[in-house]
Amino acid sequence: MQSGEINADVTFGERRAHVRAMGGAVKLKARRDAGVMNARERIDALCDAGSFTEIGEFAHSVRLEDAARTPADGIVTGFGKVEGRVVAVASFDLTVLGASSAQNNIRKLGFLKESASRAGAPCAFLIESAGARMPDIQGAAGMGRIGLLNSNNRDRDTPWVSAVLGPCYGMGTWYAVQSDFTSVRRDAAFSVSSPKVVSVALSQEVSPEELGGADVHAEITGFADHVGETDAECIAALRRFLSYLPSHAQEAPPLGREPVEAHDGARIAALIPQARSKVYDGRKLVELVADVGSVLPWRTRFGRTLETALARINGRSVGIVASNPMRKGGAIDGKSCDKMTEFIVLCDSFNIPMLLLADTPGFLVGLQAEHEAVAGKIMNNLRALHLASVPKIAVVVRKSYGQAYLNLGGAGADALAVMTTGEVGFVDPSVAVSVVHNRRPAPDDPAYAELMQDMVASNSPYALAGIFAAHSVIQPAETREWVANMLEVYARRPSAGVGRHRLATWPTSL
Amino acid sequence: MSAIDVKSEISGRVFEIVARPGDRLAEDDPVMILEAMKMEIAVGAPCNGVVKQILVGNEDSIAEGQVVAILEAV
Repeated sequence: MQSGEINADVTFGERRAHVRAMGGAVKLKARRDAGVMNARERIDALCDAGSFTEIGEFAHSVRLEDAARTPADGIVTGFGKVEGRVVAVASFDLTVLGASSAQNNIRKLGFLKESASRAGAPCAFLIESAGARMPDIQGAAGMGRIGLLNSNNRDRDTPWVSAVLGPCYGMGTWYAVQSDFTSVRRDAAFSVSSPKVVSVALSQEVSPEELGGADVHAEITGFADHVGETDAECIAALRRFLSYLPSHAQEAPPLGREPVEAHDGARIAALIPQARSKVYDGRKLVELVADVGSVLPWRTRFGRTLETALARINGRSVGIVASNPMRKGGAIDGKSCDKMTEFIVLCDSFNIPMLLLADTPGFLVGLQAEHEAVAGKIMNNLRALHLASVPKIAVVVRKSYGQAYLNLGGAGADALAVMTTGEVGFVDPSVAVSVVHNRRPAPDDPAYAELMQDMVASNSPYALAGIFAAHSVIQPAETREWVANMLEVYARRPSAGVGRHRLATWPTSL
Repeated sequence: MSAIDVKSEISGRVFEIVARPGDRLAEDDPVMILEAMKMEIAVGAPCNGVVKQILVGNEDSIAEGQVVAILEAV
């Protein structure tokens, strides 16, 4: 049954065996030899053992002459469970005509997504695809039918996760870039068009990796939230990400299953340098505030001056945004700003409270930043923070200057604390002295020293708390306790932790 | 063995060169410290490697993206 139509007298058992054989023994062996899972093994890796029920098992190409060589029409779909919770799964089968997109598999995906929305279940996409299938999607009739299916809408009513596990062009890429969490295997690549199409259309000779390799998406586009070495590692990352999220937008996230263990608060005090000129690794602060072992970094290699991570505090999911002074001194550049905005959209859509840890000299300005429209990014970010209805808890760790102070919780946080190490002002005190008093640093100038002293004093935590712009001044060692208390105080009890989701329809990437 | 460029991700002034040719560094170990944004910010090794060459000197002004050292990946 490798080509042509399927005869009416083929039995159920033969039909099922044919579908389970996917693109045939030769192609499956080649994958096994290359250490790559096939589409059904990937489903087994994602789902709890024995929990998967296939939907559309006997669907095939809309062209009956291709029915026999298109088992499941190249995309295996159905429902399984991840840690006991129902998840809709689509696994692209590259052994069947390159898992190319065609009418019936697009209909299967559309049905799966709609069913998942009704069921209140996340969607997981295990992707590799050669792109559109010819001749199925050819000419006005081919494109017209795709338009009638209108299948690329998303309202963030349930979480979406993707693993890109091979070459991927066209439709598969749309799923990768729309997902809340996308893991990319290091040797995989995804882009709108393949190198072949790019070569014909633009006379550009490029490799798949140059167009859309894991490094490109981790560092340049930001589409890769995680990069893994193997299928198993990428799929395990999807399982872990889902553990922090509710099944759908109308419920609160689940509690963690691990026993809660906290780091010693004194380690936070030891991490933060006294000297204003010294830096530290913001990732370590995130680790120390969260429950031990609970941090899942999100999009680590893009916009590194802000760290974003899902974590738990006292077993409850929290989305953490933290300055990383090790990167550009913690100055927020355009990429970091966009990353934070997308992270706010994620947290707000799925009722995950947010913690903002600020240690920043401000937004990175200058020619390049202005030409890249940083002003618009800053206002988008502030607007997202304002529209988000999840609890927003903010801590000024050390410096927080200018507009960046407002964007990191100075404006609109439910609770704002300044550490005793904190300082808030319009700009760095030395810059302020230079600008306001027209004086440059000079070791033997007592007037400069006095002006600096005054300027530093005016930036003190108590100046902020004194006008009740900050709600608390805290010692670094008590940060976790204060944050945990505020997360409990500001839990949205009247709605059982469910927010208003005003960001749910925001663009999927900025 | 491949030569890897160590680039500064921010413009600033060289405050202190920490690593010397021949030093074996782990990823993110500081190669040098820049003074930028009123802070001392490390330029870290992009991967594990041995320092082959330092291309700048103390007090030099560095542009964003400038190659400041060469590592040999190990």
